[in-house]
Amino acid sequence: MSTSGAQLKKDLLGWLWVSPWVIGFLAFLAAPMAMSLYYSFTDYPLLEGPVWIGLGNWQRMLTDEIFHAAILRTAWYAILFIPIATAMALVIAALLNEKVKAGGFFQAAVFIPTLVPMAGSAMIWLWMLNGEYGLINQSIHAAFGWAGIEGPNWLQNSKWAMPSILMISLWSIGQMVVVYLAALKEVPDELLEAGALDGMGPVRRFFNITLPMISPVILFNVITLMIGSLQVFAIPYVLSAATPGNDPRAMYFFTSSMYDNAFRYNQMGYASAQAWLQLLITLALTAVMFAASKKLVHYRA
Amino acid sequence: MTRRAALAAMVLGGVGFATFGPRGAKEDPRGRVVLDYWEKWTGHEAAAMKKIVDAFNQSQDRIVVRYLTTAGIDQKTLITIAAGDPPDVVGLWAYLVPVFAESDSLIPLDELDTKGEVRVERYATGFRELMTHRDSKGQTRQWATMNTGGTLAVYYNKAHFREVGLDPEKPPRTIEEFDAAHRKLVKRDADGSLTRAGFMHIEPGWWSWIWVFQFGGGVYDSINDRSIIGAPEAVAAYEWMQSYSKELGVDATKKFRAGFGNYDSPLNAFLSGRLSMVIQGPWLANVINAHGPKDANGKPLIDYGVMPAPVIPSLVDPRNPVGLVEGDVLVIPKGCKHPKEAMEFIAFTQRQEHVEALSLAHYKSSTLAVSSEKFLREHPNTGVRVFDAVAQSTQGFRYPRTQAWTQFKDELDGMAQRMWSLEQPAKEMLTTVQARTQSYLDRAEQQRNLRGRSIRGDRA
Repeated sequence: MSTSGAQLKKDLLGWLWVSPWVIGFLAFLAAPMAMSLYYSFTDYPLLEGPVWIGLGNWQRMLTDEIFHAAILRTAWYAILFIPIATAMALVIAALLNEKVKAGGFFQAAVFIPTLVPMAGSAMIWLWMLNGEYGLINQSIHAAFGWAGIEGPNWLQNSKWAMPSILMISLWSIGQMVVVYLAALKEVPDELLEAGALDGMGPVRRFFNITLPMISPVILFNVITLMIGSLQVFAIPYVLSAATPGNDPRAMYFFTSSMYDNAFRYNQMGYASAQAWLQLLITLALTAVMFAASKKLVHYRA
Repeated sequence: MTRRAALAAMVLGGVGFATFGPRGAKEDPRGRVVLDYWEKWTGHEAAAMKKIVDAFNQSQDRIVVRYLTTAGIDQKTLITIAAGDPPDVVGLWAYLVPVFAESDSLIPLDELDTKGEVRVERYATGFRELMTHRDSKGQTRQWATMNTGGTLAVYYNKAHFREVGLDPEKPPRTIEEFDAAHRKLVKRDADGSLTRAGFMHIEPGWWSWIWVFQFGGGVYDSINDRSIIGAPEAVAAYEWMQSYSKELGVDATKKFRAGFGNYDSPLNAFLSGRLSMVIQGPWLANVINAHGPKDANGKPLIDYGVMPAPVIPSLVDPRNPVGLVEGDVLVIPKGCKHPKEAMEFIAFTQRQEHVEALSLAHYKSSTLAVSSEKFLREHPNTGVRVFDAVAQSTQGFRYPRTQAWTQFKDELDGMAQRMWSLEQPAKEMLTTVQARTQSYLDRAEQQRNLRGRSIRGDRA
């Protein structure tokens, strides 16, 4: 066999080995993405074939008030959730990094909520946040009832919808804590010792040594949080469905609108355009974060 | 093992799995036609339907029906029809018929029902419209049969009525009488917090918009394809709703409602005695029996009555009460494999004994024009005659028959909450919502226009 024949055979064998992934990628990601890009320029009610309408769906997004409100709500959620979740996860990870008794138990306790499916988590919180019988309000009443302070109607009052969703989301930051914990354990002890010898206190050591050392991990977590925040869906969807009689729009996010248009309102073309807008926003924000990270993130040589 | 041998083993394994591996039982070992029937029911409702399926399977030896409880049945049916591989029979909600019918995604039953076993005339007046709709050419066809019906009326607690000096055998009929009863039934504790309300429009909030009909109005003008939610009757209905909110207090009712539990639980507002009157379907009687307080012998203690929802005086007609008429339907999706056999199964389910058995198990009134006296006498819901009267009434109303209804309804549900919270005067809010709901109808018309089947063309 000639050299080129042997090379071809080797290449083919290589492709054969990676073919399960290639086929999966083409069939379940690349092709659906290409189709959704096409649908975004069509009117497609699913039960009938798509009809080309050019930029109709994209123009509609400019004037759709409910969609604008959903984007704004999603933006608020992201603006509030990303810094709070990051700070909380860092603090918990720093605490867990200390050598304490039963540290393994606390690590497990922080991580276990991430194993609960989103829908299940929402159902648990539905009871926790019950305005009258819920654990949260009962606790507030027990602690501050004497002063006339009572918990709000978390799920019955649209103003409390966002804090409720944030609270539930924060319950599941265990995975992030584990990543931060691993990063904290990688911070060289000699640097921290050197800092201590130079007279740095624990707070200064944290901000001047630990934080820069784990900044690449923070960047990774912030980007994944940002992507997750833009796609928030399961918790508001379950809460909204489980509290009929409330304003369903109080828990209406970007992905809620996309889901409704695709599967409830039979407007798959419009939903596809919304999905592509979401992807473009995600890419743009990721690019901005990477650009900003050049000055903020410290990579060890 | 060499790399080549490993590869050969994998390929052989794959081929073997594809050839001899497990697969869905599309064929019956006895050679019968296998019908796939998707239904949304679970629990005792599913068990009752399965009994009918079993009876059908035993009644002949050519067809076997496989019952599958399916969550999110509307979306899954939509996707399987779009993909060209739907089940043979699907149990949908009646309000979805227009969505599927206008795109010819169902097989018209009038095409398959050669013996006239499921013709619309067999059913109670209110249900007939639910089974028909125009096709893509504008021709009215029968697309569905009723499986069970669901009409609405007001349950009231007779003990509460007696407690405040109201006659439980003469429930209120007009809006004015209803308001007076409600006011008497309200109870507050020493600090003024609500402990009982007579009635609240937003509990359970599943049909937030129906009050418009009790004032002689509507939400959708099907002739002109227009939203009429801003009409004077609607303004009057929502002002009526707001009058309750003003009287009970917005914050007080929010706090009060926070203590309401799930519908299907002992904390249900009506079961727990927090609400004396509630709008519901016949199925509430089942919840009362299952979760309501009981005596030592297990007999339910809630002494309830059922009355038609109140109306303005000009609409009072004991023989023709005003109320929502909806239900569950059976349809045959286009592209299914065995439409004739599916029709045979549907016809079997529509025999009077099966309709009544299923309705009894679901605590519902019958969907048929004539119910047997035994059915009415033995029915576990003591208010079944009221629900039946709504179904037979010429003043019954249905969900608007438009493709845009889901979006339209979402808007109305959101508005009801804002209305109850007194965010704006009713008229102002309705003007905004009318414009928005009209835009949904316009969007649906645009979709039809793109496919050359405008329903407004003739009226332009």
